Amino acid sequence: MNILITKFKELSYKQMVLFTLIAVCFVASVIFVHHNYSFYELPIAKVIKTNLEDTTEMIDMHNNKDHLFTQQITAEIKNGENKGKILHLTNQYSSSGAYDQEYRVGNELFVSIDTNSKENTELTGSIKDVKRDKFVLYIAWVFIFILLIVGKKQGLFSIISLAVNAVLLSYALDIYLHDPETSLLLICSISVILFTVISLLLVNGFNDKTYAAIIATLLGTFVSLFIAYLVMWVTSGKGLRYEEMQYLTRPYRTVFMAGVFIGSLGAVMDIAITMSSSIFGLYEKNHNISVKALKTSGIDIGKDIMGPMTNILFFAYISGSIPMLILYLKNASPLGFTLSMNLSLELARALAGGIGIVLTIPIGLYTSIYFVNRKRARS
Amino acid sequence: MNVLVWLAAILLILMLLIGGKKGARSFISLFLNFGVLLLTVLFMTDPNANPIILTLIACAVISCINLFYINEVNSKTITAFISTIITIGILLFFINIVAKNALIQGFGEEEVEELGVFSLYIGVDFAKIGASMIIMGTIGAITDVAISITSPMREIFNHNPLISRKDLFTSGLSIGKDILGTTTNTLFFAFCGGYLALLIWFKDLSYSVGEIVNSKLFSAEMISILYAGIGVALVIPIASWINAYFLVKTREKNKISNN
Repeated sequence: MNILITKFKELSYKQMVLFTLIAVCFVASVIFVHHNYSFYELPIAKVIKTNLEDTTEMIDMHNNKDHLFTQQITAEIKNGENKGKILHLTNQYSSSGAYDQEYRVGNELFVSIDTNSKENTELTGSIKDVKRDKFVLYIAWVFIFILLIVGKKQGLFSIISLAVNAVLLSYALDIYLHDPETSLLLICSISVILFTVISLLLVNGFNDKTYAAIIATLLGTFVSLFIAYLVMWVTSGKGLRYEEMQYLTRPYRTVFMAGVFIGSLGAVMDIAITMSSSIFGLYEKNHNISVKALKTSGIDIGKDIMGPMTNILFFAYISGSIPMLILYLKNASPLGFTLSMNLSLELARALAGGIGIVLTIPIGLYTSIYFVNRKRARS
Repeated sequence: MNVLVWLAAILLILMLLIGGKKGARSFISLFLNFGVLLLTVLFMTDPNANPIILTLIACAVISCINLFYINEVNSKTITAFISTIITIGILLFFINIVAKNALIQGFGEEEVEELGVFSLYIGVDFAKIGASMIIMGTIGAITDVAISITSPMREIFNHNPLISRKDLFTSGLSIGKDILGTTTNTLFFAFCGGYLALLIWFKDLSYSVGEIVNSKLFSAEMISILYAGIGVALVIPIASWINAYFLVKTREKNKISNN
């Protein structure tokens, strides 16, 4: 307890303000998601009682066994003109739950209320969707707190840079959608430049190390995008199954390329900053270090990071397809078909990102050496 | 020729040119990891298998490949391995609760329209599969952070053999702080790139903010990104502590045997 008090006294005025601000944001947002029913147009009902009515066993055409359940739900309406009234709902769900789910007491649901129910009788309706905003918010706060506890100041800066990047991305997409004449790739190129400059400056500050990393990142992403384009052009996109981009109202090829572009950016940035910090670190330790020595140690560092980085991208991309792969396989689709339908785009993204990562190693090395030499000439 | 073959060939050549032997191993590790992932998916199609346990096993095998195959078996990679497994265990425990309550399993209504020909009643537990999907997305990043902490800590220990356990732990944390920002950034952009089509779709159909936040696809995606960030942040103190503990313990043991 005493340690806590002394720690508390050590806090500067600025830190106190910051902590209070975060605490206020946290409390306010939690209260908000618990009482934001009136902000939604759709009626929301909170489950207060469930009753399992019926269980049937079923076997589908591929011999998969499953159970179907029917539950009667009593829920209280939380907003709109029927607020406070009791609503009766029926829900059918399976034990696998691919597109349905069992509802439990406390779940909040978006519903539509049947209009034909007469006065005095109880209201009935159907379930539209689940209210999930609470959980997204909780996880977001856990994320913020853990980043702040572990990363302290750097953690705060990374949260800020993530938030700025998210807003920027959303704004860039808005521009594209409002004016489809402008090319998505042009918009993405501009945003990529902004993303890079903002994230690297925020994380590393204004210095030669950062400038070298920015240049290396931009060169690395654009060169790898160019290679990916070239390959798609030479092969005329053979082997890529765009069927997977089901929900798409736009030219899918461009959208896919833009995804490749943005997706590999983070990894390329990571490589660029690792290369430039280690090269500058070697120079700071020994101002007379030869260019040759810098090159060998740079390549050594590069060798160590390229494997893990490509693996990060690989898993981030591929894991999202797991449920779909399982669905295909359980519906007796042949393995080859399943893989090419579901993974071709993800694999292409991962491979293109890997090319960007590996290319950025020499690019980052040489730009850093160039900046080191410039610094040397000046001093 | 197929796009994938071309891209893979270019990647292989670049990795060999720049990384030599280690580059070759990095390339092969991608294929091994793909194989492990595929096997896991095949095992998951068995309704009697528990996807959570399968994920834990798969993560152990994948971190063996990433740590012991690309590098080699030594004290650095062993502590990195232990920290990875502990972190994954903690993450799996909590994701189970989140996935159950947020009801994000399976497919969104945006996807289901296209799945009309498929039978959705296939007997496997999609809530658990959703949880393991989120965990698998982070495993690459977690092993990477773990090894990036344990290997410089080892260097620090070698330079100051008398360093206390607490100082060693703090130095591990400060290394971790530097990686935290760039790794969360990497994951953020990777997920955004992967979901760009979905984002455009939401905007195109002018979903309201409320509809987007509550939709299954978006919230599942957000939870994946944030959870990956949480995992990356969590592995930093775990790896620092375990590494500090083992390094000092072996030093004490050696001291006793020397006396």
